[in-house]
Parts: sequence; structure tokens; C-alpha cells
Amino acid sequence: MTWLLGRVASAIITYLMATTLIFFLMRLTPGDPLSRLSEDRPMPAEARQHLLELYGTDLPLTVQYRRFLRAAFAGSLGGSIAQGGRPVTTLIAERIPATLLLGTTALALNFIFGIWLGVWQARRHGTPADQWASVLSLTAYATPAFWLGLALIWLFGVELRLLPTGFMHDPLLPMNAGPWERTGDLVRHLILPAATLSLATIGATARYQRAAMIDALELGCVRTARVKGLPEGAVLWRHAWRNALGPMLALFGLWLPLLVAGSVFVESIFSWPGLGTLAWEGIGTRDYPVIMGVALLVSAAVVGGSLMADLLHRWLDPRLRTA
Amino acid sequence: MIPHRVLLAALLGLASGAPGSPLLAQEARDPATLAIAYPRNPGSAVPTLWGADIANREVSDLMFLRLADLGPELRTVGDKGFVPRLARKWERRDPLTLVFELDPRARWQDGTPVTAADVVFGFERARNPRYTPRVATVLTRVRSFAAEGDRRVVVKFAEKYSEQMYDATYHALPLPAHLLAAIPPESLSSSAFVSNPVGNGPYRWVRRVPDQLVELAADTGFFLGKPQVRRILFLNAAAAEARANLILSGTADASDNIYSFPNPARLEKLPAYQYYPVPTLELIYISFNFRDPADTSRPHPILTDQAVRHALVLATDRVTISRATYGPFVRSPGAPVSPILGRALDVPPTPPYDTLAAIRLLESRGWIDHDGDGVRDKDGKPLQLRINVPSQANSRVVMATRLQEAYRSLGIELQLDVIDGSVWTARRQAGQFDLDFAGGSQDPAPSGLTQSWSCAGIGGANMSHYCDPKVDTLIARAVRADNGAVVWRDALRQIADDYPAILMAALTNTYVVNRRFQNVTLRPGSPWANVWQWKVATP
Repeated sequence: MTWLLGRVASAIITYLMATTLIFFLMRLTPGDPLSRLSEDRPMPAEARQHLLELYGTDLPLTVQYRRFLRAAFAGSLGGSIAQGGRPVTTLIAERIPATLLLGTTALALNFIFGIWLGVWQARRHGTPADQWASVLSLTAYATPAFWLGLALIWLFGVELRLLPTGFMHDPLLPMNAGPWERTGDLVRHLILPAATLSLATIGATARYQRAAMIDALELGCVRTARVKGLPEGAVLWRHAWRNALGPMLALFGLWLPLLVAGSVFVESIFSWPGLGTLAWEGIGTRDYPVIMGVALLVSAAVVGGSLMADLLHRWLDPRLRTA
Repeated sequence: MIPHRVLLAALLGLASGAPGSPLLAQEARDPATLAIAYPRNPGSAVPTLWGADIANREVSDLMFLRLADLGPELRTVGDKGFVPRLARKWERRDPLTLVFELDPRARWQDGTPVTAADVVFGFERARNPRYTPRVATVLTRVRSFAAEGDRRVVVKFAEKYSEQMYDATYHALPLPAHLLAAIPPESLSSSAFVSNPVGNGPYRWVRRVPDQLVELAADTGFFLGKPQVRRILFLNAAAAEARANLILSGTADASDNIYSFPNPARLEKLPAYQYYPVPTLELIYISFNFRDPADTSRPHPILTDQAVRHALVLATDRVTISRATYGPFVRSPGAPVSPILGRALDVPPTPPYDTLAAIRLLESRGWIDHDGDGVRDKDGKPLQLRINVPSQANSRVVMATRLQEAYRSLGIELQLDVIDGSVWTARRQAGQFDLDFAGGSQDPAPSGLTQSWSCAGIGGANMSHYCDPKVDTLIARAVRADNGAVVWRDALRQIADDYPAILMAALTNTYVVNRRFQNVTLRPGSPWANVWQWKVATP
């Protein structure tokens, strides 16, 4: 319990420090969010004053920070400067389902195939099949996601016309389309962006899993399980794999932010309406409320991911509970 | 655990075999649906909520009519050449008064007639600088809109000038007073009207899927004629590559400038599409700062010399550089006018590309490489200039890099500051640059030249502090004249002789539209505004 309380407290402090740092650093970078609104024409003083009152960008930083904290605790993240005051919570709510869907799918594909491949390779350690798989997974890992995405679009979307080149839904899908049709449509649109995000990372997951599994297969408990006559599947997954789970949990904690951060490039070329492009646009326009809104989410995902990984690891490995 | 082979088969079946696969949806597409691969994300089609967003205006042009539209020549001077829309006719009561008679057939899309009160209401909302600063600044010479009965609108102006008709019809659009009068301006952006606007134009709002699409449907009762294009989809694809893929895959029927796409050659000869070069209001230029960026109260130590500016213009192969970037239809003008504006004005010829003349000019002003380091100098100071370029404008970054190399061979050291858009905007507004690589959309009215190319524009859009009182006098005379063509010519020639900027490109965009759409006209400045007049060839 002491450990848990300490770990949670540490996570909260880390989160507060990260978000505070982002708040101040962002406002210290050059560029004024209001200047973009009057790029090529003079803004009347009255209009500028109105915007300053609305967004408080001329107030001292500490005052801005206090206002931000008060509003955040009340559940408000302010209005987007670049989008005419639209609530940031609304903007995030509009985009988070798309990001969660893509992120979850990519993570799931990454871990399912990465773990499977790593275990498969570990069982065939040293064989030509293992070596070829290593070459292929390293190649995938080294492939830039931007190239991979464009290549997949070109092959499957433009040349073969098997899959859509972008968006989350077919804009021509009839309004009265049934749930199966809509689900199929969504899956089709999800395939290429999820493949782009996951193909590169599957290689990394497989490599970590392979190394951990090779060590795990040498353990005495695994030999004992075999000697006891257990089926190979049970030996592999119930005994060996549980001992090889540690690095996977750490990786999971590291990649969990992908769920909410999105990928700016993938969202951009696939026109996927996620948080990545919202954050990118916000940074480009110095839209402080939007940047902070996304930062709060992503920081929570990073800190939360790390905490969850630690908790899971501790739960799975009894030795850590008594350490 | 489900065997993975079964899972994979199920996914593939769902993806390819289920009804409504992407191929099927496209093949079953209604030919009267126009899908546009669109680079922006329209937020609001309501006229007073456009802000600086062109996307909002382009969608709004399909939903909300003006009293009259600019004619095909886009002439903004005088009362003639405009196309009747909500107003079926207009006449002049005196030099300061225009009177419009509304078309009795005009209706809001909820069936309510459009009345003079709606026109007055729209103007009053548009002129409020607190909420619509961009529009309010251009309506300062319009004194009032007033209703005389339900069908007559009387517009009074504060002074006599040649663009009264343009100001009365272009900037402020009529709004449905019966729906909006109860909503204060500060609450409009969060009202239900924004998510379901009611217009009076050929298309009505259907839906907006944030960051995905905006859908409009034809208003079958539109009083000027039922559109043959029944549905319009603006498919939001901000990345140029994404838009190119929508065209290459046949998903989109139309798109904007193909020369803004990477590797445009692959889009140049698609048999299913027709190509339309369309002049724009866009101008790309490098402005010279007339003030010292280190202390803007002082003149610039190098660029105040007109001969140096002239030399820099002569040393720039603008035609080659801009065509390599923007395609074959771009021009490098002799004065700061876009292709559209250039049709109405007598534009001076483009200065030649002449490096020998540039060198002679520089040397005549004492810029010689005294110390042999490859950079010209004068009184111990090198001919070194910094150019600010926004990092988001890839085309300008490429052009600036080419320019840097070209200047190096002439002994001019040009340092590139490729900076984030926000920082670029802040620096240019603060005058912190020697050269600034700018670009923007001009007004279709010549009077818009005042904003960037006159002393009156300093403190506003004239970031470079270019000021020639002769130009201001000429522009003021041209604006007041009934036929100011000669005066405008003189004003443009004076600007050209001052060399306040290197005019890189006046853009003509090449649009693609699927061949099944006929009678296609693309209006410069608002290319999709005439879709309601297109025809659809049925197979």
C-alpha cells in the first residue's frame, strides 16, 4: 500500500510538472495567437481589445496560469482562438473517438502480431526462419512511416482501388445504410492507416518479445513443465510467456500515449480526423487553449501508461510485491 | 481463442465482400453528386462568421446570395457589369445613393420571403467592428442601408467614389432577420443556426462532419433555376498528397490547383478529367523593408536606396523560378496586381531578368567586393540581407533557396530565416525583416491596393513601410474618378518604378473537374460559386 500511494503521488506530481512546464514554455515561445487573426488587414483597436479580454493573452503569465487552473478544475479548457472561440472540450470530443479507434487498433495489431512473431521466432531461435523474420522485422522497423503510408495508398488505393485512400467513412455511403454496412465501411477505412502505424512498430515489439522469450525458455520452470508432460502450447503461453511479459508491459506503457496523441503524419495523409492534426494546427497558430487541452490528455496518457505498466507488472510478478 | 486465420478471413470479408465496398459506392454514385477534394475545413457558412477563412466564404457563396454578383470580368468599378441576384435591378438616385429593388421570388430556404429588412439587418451585423473587424474596415464609406417597404433597399455613401456598387453588394450579405434578430452577435457562433444555417441560395446545408466533409444539397425551389448538380461534398483533405490521391483514385470529381500537389505530372493527363486554368486574386512577392529592422524609427541602411532595390529585381529570374514552382500558367507581373485585377488595369511590363544590369547598378552605388570574399561591400559593410520565409509555405521556401543561390553568384549574401508561421507573422508585423516572402489574396477592387501599397496602409497591411506620397495621390484620384483607368495606370507605373518588392508570381490555378460535368465555369476568387449552373451529362 505504501508503494502504491507513493507511486500514485509520484504520477500526480509528474503530471502537474509536465503540464505546468508546457503551459509556460508555450507562452514563452515567439509568436502571438492574435496576430494571425489579423494577418493581412489592420484589426481595429476595439476588436483587438475584445479578443484580449476574451483570451487574456496580455495578462501576466502567473495570472493566466491561475485562470487556466480554475477553469480546468471546473471542467472548462477555454475556447479555441483560431476557431472563433469554439470550446476546446468540444473540439477534442469531436476528434477523440477517431484517435482512440485508430490508436487502439494500431496498438492491438502491434502487440498481437508483435508478441506472436516474437514467440514464434524464439521457438525457432537460430534457424533460417528466425533469421529471415529478424531481417524482415528490422526492415519494417526501419521503414519511415510516411513512406510506408504513401506506398500503401498508392498500391491499394490508387493502383488496385481495393481500399479507400483516406477519410474515416465513405462520404457517399447512403444515410440509411445499416449497421453492418457502416461497420464494414469503417473497417475498410481503418485498414491502411492502422497498418501504417503498426507495421513499423510490430518489428520492435517482436524483437523485444523474442529476446525475452529466449531467456524465458531457458528457465527451470519451463523445463519442469515439459518434463511434467504438459502440452507445448501450455508450456509456451502459460509458463514461458508469463515470464517474458515484463518488457511487453514496459513497451505498452511507452506506447499507450499513441492512443490519444495520434500521429500527425498518418492523420494528415489519410485525412483521419484525429487529435494529432488538431494539436499540429494548434501549435502552428499558437492556439494556447487547444495546445493545453491536447497536452493535458497526452500527459495523462503518458503518466497513466507508465503507472499502469508498473501496476500490471507488480500484479503479474509476485516477486516484485515483496521486493 | 478464435483461430487467427478465421479472424483474418472475417476481416477481409467485411472489408471487401460486404455491400457498400468502396468500389461499389463509387460505381453506384449519383452522377449529379460533385465531390470536391478540398484543402480546408469549413467551420461556418454564416456570412458574419467567416473570419479570415476562405473555406467558410466558398461554402457560403453557395448558400447565401448577394444583392448582385461580380460579372465574369470581375469589374468592381462603376455600377455596370454586375449580375442581378437578390436584387433584380438597381439605379442611382444621386451620386451618394444607390437603390436596389429585390426580386419578389427570392426566398429563404424555410420559405420566408427575403425582404429589405433582411438586407439592412445583414449590413448592420457586418459593420460591427467588434465581431466582424475584417468586413467593418472596408465598409467605412457606406453610411447606411435602409428599407423602403419590403422590396426596396436604399444605400447611402459618405463620399463619392467609383466602387460604391461593389461595396454595397460584395462585403455584407443579407441575413434572415426573422431567425437571427433574437440572437445577439456575441452568441451567434454558439447558436443552433451555425450547425443548421438557413440561406437563400441554390444550395442548402445538409451536414458537417468535423474535419471530414461538408455536404450541401440543391434547393429544388431556387428561384433562379433548379441546379442540376444535386449534391456537393467538400471533402476536407488538408494534405496536398491526400487530395492528389482522391483524384487519382477517382473518389473526388474535382480539385484545386494540381500544381500545388507533389509531382503534378502524374495528374496532368487523366482522361476522366478536364483541366481549367483559372486566374486568381493571389500574389506572391518579396517585399523590401524600408525601415531598419534593428530600429524601425530609422530608414533601412541598404534597401532605402532605390537603385539597390532595382538591382535585386533585375537579378531575380522570377519567371523561371515561379514557373518551376507553380506550373506553366503563372505570370510575374510588372506591378502588384493579381491576374484578376490585371484584367481590369493597364499593368506595366515585367522588368527583365538582367544580371549585367543588376551588377552595373550595384557597382554604381558603391557595392563592390573590395576584400575578395565573394560578397559585395560598401564602407566596410557587406551586402548581406535576411529574408523571412514561413515554413508552412513549402513553395516559398523552395523559391527562396533558389534565389539565395542565384544571388550568391552576384555577390549578394541572402540568409534564409525559415520560421514558423506564427513567428513569421509576428516578425513581419513588428518590421523585423530585411526581405519578407509574403503572399496573399487581393481584393478584386483596385482600391484594395491602398492596403499594402500606400502610405495609408502603414500600421496595417503595409508591413514594409513603403510610402510614396505620389502613389497615394494617384490612388485617391483613381478611386474617386468615374473612369479611373488612366490614373490607375499611372499609379501602378509609379509603384513599379519605386521597386518596393520583387513580384514573384501572380497565380493562375489549374483546376480539374470530371468530364461528366459540363458548362463548367469556375469563378476566380470563389471557384465553386457557379456549380449551380453546371450541367450533368447522364450516361
